[in-house]
Amino acid sequence: MDIERKSIEITEICRVEGHAAVTVNFEDGVIADVQLNVFEGARFFERIVLGHKYDEIAHITSRVCAICSTGHVVAALNSIEGIFGFVPDQRDLLHRELMHLGMIIESHATHICALALPDFLNVGDLMTLAGQHQAEFEIWKQLRSLGSTIQTIVGGRPFHPVNLHVGGLSSYPNKEQLLEMHKLLDENQENAMRLYSLLAGLGVSFGQGAAPVYSALIPAQDGYGYFGEVIKTSTNFQANVDEYRHYLNEKVVRYSHAKQSTFAGQPFMVGALARLFMFAERLRPTALALYEKSPLASKDHNTILNNLAQAIELVEAIDRAKVVIETLLANKPGDSNSKFIHQTAALEKKAGAKTGAVECPRGTLYHYYELDDSGKVIAADMITPSAQNTARIESDIRQLVAGLKEEQTDAIQAKLETLVRAYDPCNTCATHMVQVNHK
Amino acid sequence: MSVAKVLPTISVEGLTGCAGELLVILENLDHLLPYVRIKSFPFAQSRNEDGPVDITFVEGSVSQNHDLEKLTKIRANSRWLVAVGNCATTGCLQKASCQQCSAKSMMQAVYGNDSTMSVLPAQPLEHYVKVDVSLPGCPINATQFLAVTASLLREQLPYITSKPVCLECKMKENPCVLIEKNAPCLGPITAAGCGALCPSVGAACYGCWGVCDEPQIEAMKIILLEKGYDVDEVYSRLKAFGAPEHLFERMDKKTN
Repeated sequence: MDIERKSIEITEICRVEGHAAVTVNFEDGVIADVQLNVFEGARFFERIVLGHKYDEIAHITSRVCAICSTGHVVAALNSIEGIFGFVPDQRDLLHRELMHLGMIIESHATHICALALPDFLNVGDLMTLAGQHQAEFEIWKQLRSLGSTIQTIVGGRPFHPVNLHVGGLSSYPNKEQLLEMHKLLDENQENAMRLYSLLAGLGVSFGQGAAPVYSALIPAQDGYGYFGEVIKTSTNFQANVDEYRHYLNEKVVRYSHAKQSTFAGQPFMVGALARLFMFAERLRPTALALYEKSPLASKDHNTILNNLAQAIELVEAIDRAKVVIETLLANKPGDSNSKFIHQTAALEKKAGAKTGAVECPRGTLYHYYELDDSGKVIAADMITPSAQNTARIESDIRQLVAGLKEEQTDAIQAKLETLVRAYDPCNTCATHMVQVNHK
Repeated sequence: MSVAKVLPTISVEGLTGCAGELLVILENLDHLLPYVRIKSFPFAQSRNEDGPVDITFVEGSVSQNHDLEKLTKIRANSRWLVAVGNCATTGCLQKASCQQCSAKSMMQAVYGNDSTMSVLPAQPLEHYVKVDVSLPGCPINATQFLAVTASLLREQLPYITSKPVCLECKMKENPCVLIEKNAPCLGPITAAGCGALCPSVGAACYGCWGVCDEPQIEAMKIILLEKGYDVDEVYSRLKAFGAPEHLFERMDKKTN
C-alpha cells in the first residue's frame, strides 16, 4: 500500500460538460482537504441579461448550456410569465412539456451511453466504443436522435430553441409531425428498456452508502413530471421556490469558478436519484416496475445509481411524451404546417420579481428576474443543479477515498472519475454566474 | 498482410462556452468516423493524445489564461485550426457582456479583490492566434460542419456564406415576419447558415449568428423605428449577441 501519498490529482475530468479538476490532499495518511475545481472560464450570465427586455431573456439564457438549453428557457419563461401573472393555455403547456421531455431523453441518453458507460465497458475512446460496442452505440444514436427530433420539431432546432417565447409558441407542429414523433417514440421504447437492463446488469462495485439530503420540485401535474413551484426535500422540508434564498445558501469557494450551495448548512443532492427517491410512486406502470426491481426501491443511496435512475426516467419520458402527443392529436391539430397561425398572447407587462424553477436532467434549476415597468431586467440570479451538487460531490469524494486508501493511486483516480461522472456534472452551467447583491 | 490505412487526424477542444458545438460534433461523429482518426476530444473520450494533428475544431471564447495557454498549444500543433461557433468566431454574448463592464470588475464582484484566479475579457480565437476557418453559428449547423470538414480533408478551404438570413428565408418562401407581422426581425443584417430558423416558425430572427457581410444597419434601424420599436430596443437586440461596436457608431452617425 502506498502510505506516502501526499495527494491525488485529476487535472481534467474527461467526458463531462465543461472543465473540472479534482484534488485530494493528505496529511499523515489522512485526507486533509478535497477540492472540486471547476476551471471553466467565468461567464457572467446574470450580468449579461441586465438591461435586456423580457422577450429576449430566454434566447440569452439558453446559452448558459447547450444540452439543457430547453430547461434554461423554461425556467426563464416561468419567472417572467409569473411576474406578468400570465398562465399559458393547455396546448402551449403540453408543447412545452413535450419539448422538455425531448431534452430529458437526449441528455440522459448522451450522458448514460457516451459519457458514463465507457467506464463500465472499459473503453477509452469513441472509436472503440463505436467499433466494439456497436449495440450500445446504436442505442445511443437512436435515443439521442429521438430527443433531438422532438426538440427540432417543437422548438425549431436540437437545442437553443427558437419557438418558445414568453406567452406561448410562435407555431405548432402539424398532425403529420406529431405522428412522426409518436412513431419514433414507439420505436425507441425497446431501446430505453435495453439501456436499463444493460445498466442494471453492470452492478456497482464501489461507492458510498450514507443517505444524502435529496431535493426536487413537487410535480405540479398528477403523475411524474419536471414542472412545479414547490420544492421538497427528503427531510420533509417544503417551500415555494420564491423562498429559495432562505433555504439555499450559495457561497463562493476560493479554488473554483463554481459557487457551492448547501441546504441548512449541509451538502445535498439534486437530479434523477433525488426525484425518484421522493416521487417514484408517481411513475407510469412500465417505469414503476423497473424502479421496483432496482436497488433504488430498497433505498440504496449509492451515487453511481444516478445512472440507473436516469435510465428509468428515460423509459418514463418516452411513455409520457406519447401521452402528451396523443392528447395533442385528440385536439385536432392542423393538417398542413401551421406557420403563422399563432400570435403569441398579448401580455400585460408589469414590474415585479419572481423565481421560476424547473427540473432539468441534472436537477432543480432556479431563475430569478426582477423587471422594471418597461419589461427590462434590473436584477437576475440563476442557481444551476451542478452548482447545487458541488458540495455533495466533494463529501462523496472524501468518503470514497477514505474507503479506498489501500488501493493504488490510478485505481482510485479511475473510481473518482466514475463517481463524479455519475452526477452528470455540467461545468458550463456551474460557471454561469456573477455575484448579485440582494437588497 | 494488409497495410493499415493512415487516416487524417482531428481534435475537438473546448475553451469557455456552452459546449453546444462539442455536442453538435459528437452527435454527427458517426458520419466522420470512417474518414478520420480522433486524436483528442476530452468532452467525449478519456484517452486523448497531444502532438501534431491535421484539423482542430475549437469551441468557446478565450476567457481566462488557461484558455489562452491551451489555444497557443493547439495552434502550434494544428495544420488547420477551425473556430467553431460564435463564441470562438466573434466572442458572442460572452464578449458582449465584457463590452458592458470590465471583466476584472465582474471578477472582483464574484471572487473578491485578492483573488488569484485569472480572468480575461472574453475574445474570439483570432484575437490571439491565426485561424484558418471560421464557422459561425449558435450552435453551428451540422450540415455546414460536415461540409467544412469534407473540404479540409480534400485540402480545400471551404466556402461559408455570410449572406443575410433573408436570402434563406425567401428560398423557403416564408412570409416576411418583419414586413407582414411587424416582428422585430434582424434577418436583413444577420448572417445566414441556420436555414432561417426563426422566421420559419413565425418568430423574429434575433441575430444569434452575428452580422452578415456589409450589414445595412442604418436601414435596419429606420425600419424598426417605423414599426414602433424604440432605439433602446434596437440597441438591446443588436448587442445581445455581440454585434461589433463600429456598427453602432455608424448607426448613430447616419440617423441622429
